[in-house]
Amino acid sequence: MPTPWPRSNSQPKVLPPRPLRLLGGAVIAMAVALLVVLVLWSIASAAYGQPETAAPLPDVAHLLRMSAIQAALSTVLSLLVGTALAWSLNRLRFAGRNLVIALFASAIVTPGLIVAFGLLTVWGRSGWINAIANVLFHTSIDTPIFGLGGILAAHVILDAAFAARILLARLDAIPSTRLKTGQGLALTPAKRFATIDWPALRGTMPGLAAIIFLLAFTSFPIVLLLGGGPANQTLEVAIYSAVRLDFNLHGAVILALAQIGFCSIIILAASAFAPIPSTLGPSAGQRWADRGFAKAVQWTVLLACIIGFALPLLAVLAGGFSSNLPALFARPSFPSALATSLAIGTLSALLTLVLALGLGSARAATLRPLARIGLAAPAYAYLAVPAVVLALGFFLLVRTMGIEPATAGPAVVILGNALLSLPFAIATLGPPLEAVASGQGKLIRSLGLSGWQQFVRVEWPLLGREIGVVLALAFCFSLGDLGVISFFGTQDFSTLPLLLVRALGAYRTDDAAIVAAVMLVITVAAFTALPQFFARWSDAQA
Amino acid sequence: MHFIARLALAVVIGLAAHPAAAADKPSLTIYTYDGFAGEYGPGPGLKAGFEAQCGCTVNFVGTDSSIGALRRVQLEGATTSADIVLGLDTSIAGEARATGLFAPHGLALTGLSLPVKWTDPEFVPFDYGYFAFVYDKTKVANPPKSFEELIAKPTTFKIAIEDPRSDTPGLGLLLWIRAAYGDKAPEIWKGLKPHIVTMARSWDDAYGLFLKGEADMALSYTTSPAYHAITDKTDKYASARFDEGHYAQIEVAGMLKSSKHQDLAKQFLGYLTSVPAQKIIPTTNWMYPVVDLGADLPAEFNALPKPAKLLSLDEKTITANKDKWIADALAAIQ
Repeated sequence: MPTPWPRSNSQPKVLPPRPLRLLGGAVIAMAVALLVVLVLWSIASAAYGQPETAAPLPDVAHLLRMSAIQAALSTVLSLLVGTALAWSLNRLRFAGRNLVIALFASAIVTPGLIVAFGLLTVWGRSGWINAIANVLFHTSIDTPIFGLGGILAAHVILDAAFAARILLARLDAIPSTRLKTGQGLALTPAKRFATIDWPALRGTMPGLAAIIFLLAFTSFPIVLLLGGGPANQTLEVAIYSAVRLDFNLHGAVILALAQIGFCSIIILAASAFAPIPSTLGPSAGQRWADRGFAKAVQWTVLLACIIGFALPLLAVLAGGFSSNLPALFARPSFPSALATSLAIGTLSALLTLVLALGLGSARAATLRPLARIGLAAPAYAYLAVPAVVLALGFFLLVRTMGIEPATAGPAVVILGNALLSLPFAIATLGPPLEAVASGQGKLIRSLGLSGWQQFVRVEWPLLGREIGVVLALAFCFSLGDLGVISFFGTQDFSTLPLLLVRALGAYRTDDAAIVAAVMLVITVAAFTALPQFFARWSDAQA
Repeated sequence: MHFIARLALAVVIGLAAHPAAAADKPSLTIYTYDGFAGEYGPGPGLKAGFEAQCGCTVNFVGTDSSIGALRRVQLEGATTSADIVLGLDTSIAGEARATGLFAPHGLALTGLSLPVKWTDPEFVPFDYGYFAFVYDKTKVANPPKSFEELIAKPTTFKIAIEDPRSDTPGLGLLLWIRAAYGDKAPEIWKGLKPHIVTMARSWDDAYGLFLKGEADMALSYTTSPAYHAITDKTDKYASARFDEGHYAQIEVAGMLKSSKHQDLAKQFLGYLTSVPAQKIIPTTNWMYPVVDLGADLPAEFNALPKPAKLLSLDEKTITANKDKWIADALAAIQ
């Protein structure tokens, strides 16, 4: 489709030479790839010393097919809803907009279990919707919240909101000159979306689709809680039962390899897809609202999404305000778990940022497709490696090195969480780093900036917000982690999610609801504060 | 940055300070499920009670489930730091015994008050309960009195159960149906299918769904209503008494051959079945104690209905058939 303005990537690309960045990125990529290999090797070698078990392997082909259908549906729905929501949020301005955006953004990192319970509070048999229906119509609505419907609903809440947050950032970054040109040409809302918005979104789509597909493919607590039973299963669930229940390490390795193999195809396809760099620019101030029918559609989308997405999370918050609140806060375990969670989250967020910047800037510094795949694929592999396999592998590795698991606990939890957030960090930082390299590469070259100067003078001022988003993402992922810590937690080393599970396991549903609400408040606060703080900080230094 | 640096420092110091756990005193490491070790569970009380008399340090290490505790010891083999594994039950005891990791406890264990006579040379029982469906009396007027009555209810009558592969109550239900119906068990599962709102990974999830009103009954224990009576001060929860009888879960602990503190471990197992330790169990683990506590057992426990008939399966049969029975049950509700 011809565009009325020159596209930056239509010119031959001239990238400044960045050998150090390439080297750093290569080292990180190799290290994270080596870790995957080590993890699998340590499980395989433990399996070698184990007698063959009689426990039959589940039907892998069937599991792959079921998981793939569910994941494909989740991806398509999430991208559709996410695009519509990003489009609406980009056009509309209203009081509390930032809070709404943060709430949507926080969905992705909210522990699946909390979302599932929030969903039930609203849509369940005894949920709010049915309570209203009972009062108004004296009848209950049979909502298909268990089974495939429930799984898809929960995935769309988690993933569409995440997609919307990423896509909104791309829309907000469209330079005002383009908007002015578009306004001057009096583009209709549809034409405007096709010629201005879509090119800005396109580059992000393959990576985003791959991430959502893999998230849904490897989904675990949601599938177990809302799936309604063994009819709806994922490969990840089969791996969990092989590792934790049947103690069939042979089977676990085979299933994990099947999952990693299948997911790798998706990852390679996505990372080979050369992303179209989106242009960067200050987004402050400029806006161009649609009118009439389009505006009505935008409001409808927004309201539907608030009811659909925000209500379940609000239900979690509402559930936390109970009379047990002071008593729980007074327990010594609560402040200690809170402090541990905050410390682990902060450190693992910083580690994620360093790794993602290293990989992302190296990737942006080369045009060779093979190098680009090699730099991104290992990080994306952590979307495919089941958390239970990662945790078990780390556990065995630490023991092989002669370290007590309890001693290594904090370090391993920080590292494990950072690795699991890395794909999201790369997806967030990658496109803007590429945009800087291809859009400003010529300028950087002609000014003769060094790699460090390029970061301080060009990238940092432009990427402040994205850096804040990455930190918030990684922090919140780590805050909600249950997979890694389940192997390493002790009585002296526990986090908020462990506290939540302990309360649930001891009939204390009220206490669990409070912990869930506290985690959600921290998540939303991190998502509101961090991107804004870093955007301001980097702006101030620009 | 300053704040972050301080946090980093705190973690590093915490890391360094951890292994310095009282080098002068012997320490007893017990692997158990998280709920037992956690602050709501019996762990802290038992630790304090035993430390007062043993001149040692007790270290509870919680794993995500009791089966998880066993798996961890199997992974670690002879190099494990665990002295005792606590929280296995009679359904998994056969498999645990077959690992050859457990040592005879050598205790006389007289004066136990259990639904069965206890002769196990390796495992020591510390509490028990009967699997049962728990319901809300204000919502369910006519609870089913058997699996057949449950199946005959309209399909809007929902139950939340646990996955037999991941959770001991889930496995308990499987054995319960097997013990009551034998080879007809898959038919019962087929009949239950439309009533199953979900087969959750853990008791926590299933019971949570029930408390939220998503299910009319959840698979739990006959002792669950005692929790609500004592802590929540409500008597609206009850367990449905089934005419087929109920299956008992007896939770056990065992000491490991690899333990460097054999005497201490044996001493702990003895303490575990003593009256002072048993007094801690009912209101922290919400199960029956294994000795007669007399007036020290909260009245709410005595008020609970006892099953009309006790069902059980022997260990060898369970160990030999468990995997097939699980596959059959899952196939029936798929």
